[in-house]
This record gives sequence, structure tokens and C-alpha cells, in this order.
Amino acid sequence: MRTFRVLLAHELRSAWLSWTTWASWALFLSLLGTIHWYAVLACSRTPMPWTPAEAVFRWFPLPLLCILPLLTMRTFAEERRSGTLGALLTTPASAWSVVAAKFVCIWSTWVVFWASFAIFPAIAGQALGDSADPRLLDPVTLGGGVAFIALSGMLHVAIGLLCSSRTRSPGLAALMTFIGLLVLTVSGGLLDALPSDGWEWLGWLKQPADHLRTVGHLEDFASGIVDTRPIVLYLTGCGLCLGLTVINIEAAD
Amino acid sequence: MPDAADQPSQALEAIGLTKRYGRLTAVEDLSFSVAPGEIVGFLGPNGAGKSTTLRILAGRLLASSGRATVWGESVALNPAGAKRHLAYMPENNPLPEDLRVREYLELRARIKGVDEDTVGLRVDQVMHDCDLRDRATMLIAHLSKGFRQRVGIADALLAHPSVILLDEPTIGLDPHQILGIRDLLRSLRGKMAVLISSHILPEVEQVCDRVIILNRGRIVAQGRTEDLRRELLPAPAHHVVAACALAELATAARALDAAASCRELGDEGAGWRRFEVALPPGSPARDRLLAGCVSAGLRVREVAEVSAGLEDIFLAATRRDTQEARG
Repeated sequence: MRTFRVLLAHELRSAWLSWTTWASWALFLSLLGTIHWYAVLACSRTPMPWTPAEAVFRWFPLPLLCILPLLTMRTFAEERRSGTLGALLTTPASAWSVVAAKFVCIWSTWVVFWASFAIFPAIAGQALGDSADPRLLDPVTLGGGVAFIALSGMLHVAIGLLCSSRTRSPGLAALMTFIGLLVLTVSGGLLDALPSDGWEWLGWLKQPADHLRTVGHLEDFASGIVDTRPIVLYLTGCGLCLGLTVINIEAAD
Repeated sequence: MPDAADQPSQALEAIGLTKRYGRLTAVEDLSFSVAPGEIVGFLGPNGAGKSTTLRILAGRLLASSGRATVWGESVALNPAGAKRHLAYMPENNPLPEDLRVREYLELRARIKGVDEDTVGLRVDQVMHDCDLRDRATMLIAHLSKGFRQRVGIADALLAHPSVILLDEPTIGLDPHQILGIRDLLRSLRGKMAVLISSHILPEVEQVCDRVIILNRGRIVAQGRTEDLRRELLPAPAHHVVAACALAELATAARALDAAASCRELGDEGAGWRRFEVALPPGSPARDRLLAGCVSAGLRVREVAEVSAGLEDIFLAATRRDTQEARG
């Protein structure tokens, strides 16, 4: 446990001293700030059934696909390229503690990124004063959205680490993560869009498609509905990806 | 360093280690041991399997068969136990470029389980031993190759390991840096078992108590340099400086022993040439060789017995192995 703590402290320090983390955060906030700004403008013109925060959360695949690969790409690929990972694994540090430390570091950074999004509704509320719609800072929407991001982020970060452990090139790791996350994010929607009513033999796909609909999970969380099925999906997926990452780095030389 | 009471008879032991990559056999049936406090050189030409063996011993590679133990702990069955007693500096010594020397050593000390209260003291100690105190606050990226090697060795010493594996520790260093690292390695004798892989023979000869010679993945000789010299080169060579042709000297030498062989080593100027005369075991020694040359009417300036160096032993061992392989 001490080794894990030492490695985690080192990872957090390295991550937050790295310009790529700060650049990614800046890019993340500009993306979300822009979406939130347009959502606030749209709501101010015509009453909408959704709040600006909900609109931002619905756009979550955009930062997920653009920013998360930047955070995870260097974790193992860079260390494999330089050989420092191999040197680390000749110490009493186990492969599990190395993977766990990197996972907790990137996952907590990702959650901090999303939690920092709350400054936009706060700024909008402050600027609008008494005329602001109280739903701007609705704690259920904000809390539920961030809780969903934290939960699904476990699987998303684990996919990023798995991709990074497969290659020595951070660029290739980012591309692989992008593709993996894209497939995961759109697969539910694509399966759902198949004309399963017309083609009976596709009927069995309806249930898995429903389970994989990421946006549906987000809507449930943002509405305060806690369904255990996505929780199981994200946690088991995360465990599987981390297990494969451990196998990869133990085998890598 | 563990207590003497806990000390196993062998610090490091390999029994029948074999590593295959498909049809290619990288190392085959390697068996050797290193006693506590002993410094052993691991020699071999490029591709002989030195680094592969070290990686197996360090737990970074699984052997196809065989057994390796570090301080009595099986590397394959109890890797965590084995790693607690082991430090490994791989070839080219990969280091994180973005850390300062002291930060890096403190991190490694903590990972290796050095007591939190003594991390600072221990890092100070190894930086002193490796002459790194002036570089403590420098970024590793800004260090010269020699100082990077020193950081690698300092890292290896941090947790008082019982066994240290060093893969080409002086590769790419200038003569001053080599001398420094050689002194440092000598200072470890009696304190920890050290296995040094190298193909720089003078360095190994000067530092190591014993050598293991590898060729094409197999051990072709192992033992103390003197023992190997007796085994592989039983007859000492002679250097003769004479004013004659190679054929004339060869005739004089063969008059003493029909199996004698000669080769010219170089021109010494003013008509003098240096030759090497190899006589079979039991053949006449220096004085009789000199008398034989004089009686053959040769002008001789010098006859000296030359003790075979590690380079000769290495060449003889690998040559014998290659000849045996050809049948």
C-alpha cells in the first residue's frame, strides 16, 4: 500500500506539473464554456425543456473524445519508449500498484476537470442576478452529471490506459483511445438505430443496445435516477481493462 | 545488508536457465552462482545472451525452463521476495528526464521500501559514494552520460540490496569516468554480490573476482582468471624481438618443439621485428628458447614470457566453443 501511495503522489505531481495537463484543462474549459454560453443564449431566447448544464452534459462525448486521449496517451507509452517502466518493474513495486496509481491519477484529474465546469453556471447565475433561472445551478443536474462522468470515466480512463500500454508511441495510443471511446460511445446508439423491428433476426440486439446507450445513462443520472445496470457495466469494464493493462505491462519488455 | 545469520550460501543462483523465442534459443542451460560479497564478470560477444540472462534474473523476462534464485527466493515463484534483495541497472540505464537527481533518488528509495525517516540520509550517502552531491539539484536530462551512469549505480545501492546486476555499466564512458566507476565497483566487494555484464575485458579483469564467459547462449568457461588461464592457455606465449624473417624464427622454434607456432606482431624499427612464439605445454621455457634462437644464428634483442590476459582467455574460450560446435 505504501508503494501505491508513493507512486500515486509521484503521478499526481508529474501530471500537475506537466504543461499538457494544463493545456488540456484550458482546452476542456474553453470547449465546455462555449457550449454553455450558446446553451444560455438559446434558453434566454426561447424557453427550453432543458437547462444549459444538461445541454453541456449531453455534449460530453466531445471532450471525452478530444481531451481524455491527451491525458492517457503518455501514461505507459512514454515510459515504455524510454524504458523507465521496465526499470520500475524491477523494484518491489508490483504491476498492479503501478497501474492503480496511474489510473487514480488520471481519473481524479478527469473528475476535477468536470467539477471545474460548475464555474460556468455559477458565473451565469452571478451575471444574471435575480433574473437568473434557479435551474441554472440545479444541484441534481450538476451532481448527477458529474457522478455519471465519474462513474463512466472509470471505464473511459481504463480504456485509455489499456491503449497506452499496448504501444510505445503516445500518438498511436491517443488514436487507439479515440477509436475505442468512439466505438463505446456510439455503439449503443448505432445498435439502437438498426431496424430490428423489420429484421426479426436482429431482435436480440435490442436489449444490449439499450444497456450500452451512454447518453441514456447520462440522462438517468442527471435526472437523479440511479440504475445499477450501468454501474455494473462501467465497473466491470473498468476492472477488465485494468486487468488487461497489468498483463500488458508485465509482458512488455 | 541482511544479517550474516540470514545469509544463504549463494546470493544468486541460476540452474539450467533456458530462454527460447520460437525456434531461436537465446540462452541454453545456464548454471552458475554468485556468492555473497563476490564480484563476478559476465562476458560474451554481442548477442551471446548476457542481457537476456540478466533480464531473467531481474524478473523482467520469464525463462522457458530452469530456475533462478536471488538470496534464496525464486525469481519466478516469489518475484516480490526476490526483488527485495535485488537491484538491477539495465543497459543504457533509462531515467526520467524531467526529475532532478535528488528527487529521483528519493522516489526510488521510497519505492524500494527505505524507511521514510531515513530516506534523506540514505540518498545523501549514495550521492556521496557516487560523487553526485554537486549534481543533486540538476535535471537528469542535463546530466552527461557518465553522471547518468552514476545515478543508475546510486539507485542500485539505495536499498542496501544483497545482489546487484549491472548491464554494461561503463558503456559509452570516457576513461576518467570508467576509472571512477571501477573504483566504485571495487568498493562494493565483500558488501554485496555484484554480477557485471560487459564486453570491455580490461574493466572486468580489474574489478571481478571471477568471470563467466558466454558464447552463443551457453557458458563456455567460468572461474577465476588464473584458473581459466591454466585451463585454456596452459603454455605461456613468448614475445621475441629479433632481426630476422618470420620463417627463420619459426625454423629455430620448431627445432625445439615441432608443434611450435609463430606469428609476427609488428615492426620495431631498424630491422627489428616483434614476434609471438606459442609453444605447447611442457616445451622449453624462455631460456631454452633464447638459446635455440642464438644457436640458429639469429640476432635476438628480447625474449619475454607473456602472461595471457582476459582477452586471450576470452578468445580461447569462444574459439574452443566454436570449434566444438563445428565438430
